[in-house]
Amino acid sequence: MIDRNVFRELDWYLVGLLILNAALGCLIIYSSSQGQAGHIYLKQIFWVGVSCLGFFLILLVDYKVLVTYSPIFFGAGLVVLASLIFFGRIVGGAKSWFRLGFLGIQPSEIMKILLILMLARIYAEFKKPYVSWARAAAGAGATVIPMALVAMQPDLGTASTYVPLILAALFLAGLNRKTMILLLVAALGLGLFGWNFAFKDYQKKRILTLVSPSRDPQGAGYQIAQSKIAIGSGGFLGKGLKKGTQSQLRFLPARHTDFVFSVLGEEFGFVGVCAALALFSVLLRRLFRSVSLARDRAGIYIIFMVANLLTYQFLVNVLMVVGLFPVTGIPLPFISYGGSSLLVSFLAVGLVVNVKMRRFANI
Amino acid sequence: MDDRGIYEDLSLVQKRAQRLVRIIEAVFILLFIYYWKIQILDFNKYWKLSEFNSLREITLPAPRGLITDRNNILVATNIASFKTSIIRENTRSLSQSFRSISDLLNLDERILEQRVNKYRALAEFRPVVVKENLAMDEVARIAARKLEFPELVIESEPKRRYPFRSFASHVLGYLQEISEEDIQSQAYKKRRLGDMVGKMGVEAVYEPILAGETGRLIEVVDSQGRTISVLERIEPRPSPGLRLTLDFDLQKKAEELLTGREGAIVVMDAQTGDVLALASYPTYEPNRFINRFLPQEWQGLVSDPSYPLENRAIRGLYSPGSVFKLTMALAALDSGVITDRTSFFCGGETQIYGNTFSCWNKGGHGSLILDGAIQNSCNIFFYNLGRRMEVDDIARYARMMGFGARTGIDLPGEKEGLVPTVEWKKKTRNAAWYPGETISVAIGHGPLLVTPVQVAAHTAFIAKRGIKVFPHLVSSASKPYWSRWEAQNGGAISPITNLKRSDFEKVILGMWESVNKGGTGQAAGVDGFDICGKTGSTQTIGRETAERLAQRNVTVKTHSWFSGFGPRDKPEIVVTVLVEFGGLGGATAAPLAGEMFRLYRQLQAHK
Repeated sequence: MIDRNVFRELDWYLVGLLILNAALGCLIIYSSSQGQAGHIYLKQIFWVGVSCLGFFLILLVDYKVLVTYSPIFFGAGLVVLASLIFFGRIVGGAKSWFRLGFLGIQPSEIMKILLILMLARIYAEFKKPYVSWARAAAGAGATVIPMALVAMQPDLGTASTYVPLILAALFLAGLNRKTMILLLVAALGLGLFGWNFAFKDYQKKRILTLVSPSRDPQGAGYQIAQSKIAIGSGGFLGKGLKKGTQSQLRFLPARHTDFVFSVLGEEFGFVGVCAALALFSVLLRRLFRSVSLARDRAGIYIIFMVANLLTYQFLVNVLMVVGLFPVTGIPLPFISYGGSSLLVSFLAVGLVVNVKMRRFANI
Repeated sequence: MDDRGIYEDLSLVQKRAQRLVRIIEAVFILLFIYYWKIQILDFNKYWKLSEFNSLREITLPAPRGLITDRNNILVATNIASFKTSIIRENTRSLSQSFRSISDLLNLDERILEQRVNKYRALAEFRPVVVKENLAMDEVARIAARKLEFPELVIESEPKRRYPFRSFASHVLGYLQEISEEDIQSQAYKKRRLGDMVGKMGVEAVYEPILAGETGRLIEVVDSQGRTISVLERIEPRPSPGLRLTLDFDLQKKAEELLTGREGAIVVMDAQTGDVLALASYPTYEPNRFINRFLPQEWQGLVSDPSYPLENRAIRGLYSPGSVFKLTMALAALDSGVITDRTSFFCGGETQIYGNTFSCWNKGGHGSLILDGAIQNSCNIFFYNLGRRMEVDDIARYARMMGFGARTGIDLPGEKEGLVPTVEWKKKTRNAAWYPGETISVAIGHGPLLVTPVQVAAHTAFIAKRGIKVFPHLVSSASKPYWSRWEAQNGGAISPITNLKRSDFEKVILGMWESVNKGGTGQAAGVDGFDICGKTGSTQTIGRETAERLAQRNVTVKTHSWFSGFGPRDKPEIVVTVLVEFGGLGGATAAPLAGEMFRLYRQLQAHK
């Protein structure tokens, strides 16, 4: 099954960027987890290893095989998500985790990959200039079901990451102006519905806090205020590794997970922020460029959706820590502490590399 | 999948993909500019904020709602009090500061450490209370050495105070620090560790009303703890307070009457169910326990064999004794076993099912009809009713009139009591019901158990000729309480029963004679006040109680009951008295009830 020829086409440049981003993450996690029990950064390094392994494993299988069998994977994923809700009720506590030995894996994260493959399958066969209603509905259905299951966990942050996937797919498939307006209206309606029925109080408060930081009964405004102070006080060059007063004195909440970028901003300053932005945008640019190197429609869809997913997560997180987006709990790809998120980011880029290296293959 | 990919025209799709890249690039540029603004342009502002160790969050506690009696006499209020807390992030080393603080506050180092450890989970910048109720000289001492102890803050807080000390302590309840389990529960979602919450009495039941809403202050402070500016201030919203139905004078009188005894008095508005007095004795001083650090004395109270913390009026389970004869009479009349003209002969004792059952009056009452039997509390008459009725029928009537279920009074922990049935015995004792037991139940003995507040509600039920009364301590704010209570108890309970009004008049005649025509309850009589009542004396004592008394070499007397209402035709007030080991109901409980009736009349005359 392993074809040596295709591996000659492997995009080592992209792999290098991946490793660099992950290494930056380990460095910041090392700094921000000072004084915490257990060596969190060692765990993260271990997860980088696991992710690299996953990355190469996914290269072994032709992406077209993955796309062909995607309904099966996707269905299995839904079953797992649904059973999490069910068993979560019984056991209580966190519903988003499955423990495989000592590795905790979040099925909602893996679902991102499955959904990308599923959507690629739905739209790859479609060749007209504008998407048909049936196709649009099929894609939307495939997105809404896992979204609802994840939202019930309740993890609205992760659930929201499925939205850019379907939007990207529809965008590629072609939307005329009328459909775009219709989509906007539907989104607004859904938003209103969600506000009144689906959001929990704390989620509403987070959004309200963004609009007006002074109405802040739960302390989300406090988090953002502290995060802004951390980033702002970093200045041009930053306070230096492990010297961030905000981060080290534990003013910052979730310093090694969702607010890891604030630690970077405080300890490495504007220079560090620019470096991280540059590192990530180079990666994104490479991903978007790859679109024109795909051999077929399925490949294009895969690459485009992966690029959008990573862009969305990155932007939401980086906007969140300076108070331009509600506190959603979306981790920074490659950087934030967390095995599932890291693994899935690697697997996603793995899919892109998979598509690219098989562009000349003719099986 | 088909493999015609290379021949396919993909340019349209590829063009679309590139279009999005432009938008994303624009967003990245805006991002770059915004971070430039924060980190370069606003650097000084944020650097100062971080350097001066930033934000301090202070909760502004809402003063707890005041509680008054029905005439607006304050029975629970707040006083100013000072506490000092440690902010862990301001210490260099915790153990070092423990040592010096323990000297400053004159507090054991280990206690200090325990206290702080309990709140490990709190964020480092949140203050942890280490000493409360500071005296003024302590406040001055801490304030004077502020520079040496940047980790200590002094905060003032309103503290609960019961000005009449043990007055109505079982009704009012007390406060204690919120427990870790409480904080997990939905009801206390908004509370924090270290908050004081109502743990008993109306303080607990009306916690949501009394607590008010705490406010919050986030200020920017410098490295010496001085406030530089206020970022945010949310004012606390005080509670509107609570007005109880209690009458200060009646409550005080009830407590005086019980002093030195063990027992309970319930006084109730016969029409509305407003509880005018609810006293339980022995009692305790709640002011002493509104502390985060409970004194040794608390342990003493908890383990005191006379259970001063128990509210006997709602939690004490007693045999109703002869008071239950009223229930029996109504049941027998309604089911047609007797009429008010049916007579039985009392010769002092009688043979039923081969056993001898005797009347309290060894000489016998002679031939009696219903009103005389109630007036003299004749056992033989009611044994005869017991012989003619099934225990399950008696139970059905007893439940209809409110026994065997909580009255729903707005106090926590009310007991249900027990109304035995054939099935109950089979289930709990795994034995058949003996007909002889029905004979005991007929005079209110056997496994039957009631609480004083149930008896009071039952008396009001008779006074209102068959309309149920639901005792309560708060009338205006009771709506939320009742809706919750009904939800927990499967819907509202109808106050209407289909017992005949004429049957009530027949029973009430007997009660009236008991007080006014030389019956067992005559000691409760008040001149010019048409009181109707019934006495009771119960032999049943719990095993534990018996052992305790045996140790003290006390001869076991019966519990003493009296429950009555007045005036006869337009009932205004219900008085129920229970004195543990008080002897005969007519000798002990009835005079106490008489005192309550007399005071009520005096108070009415003054108005």
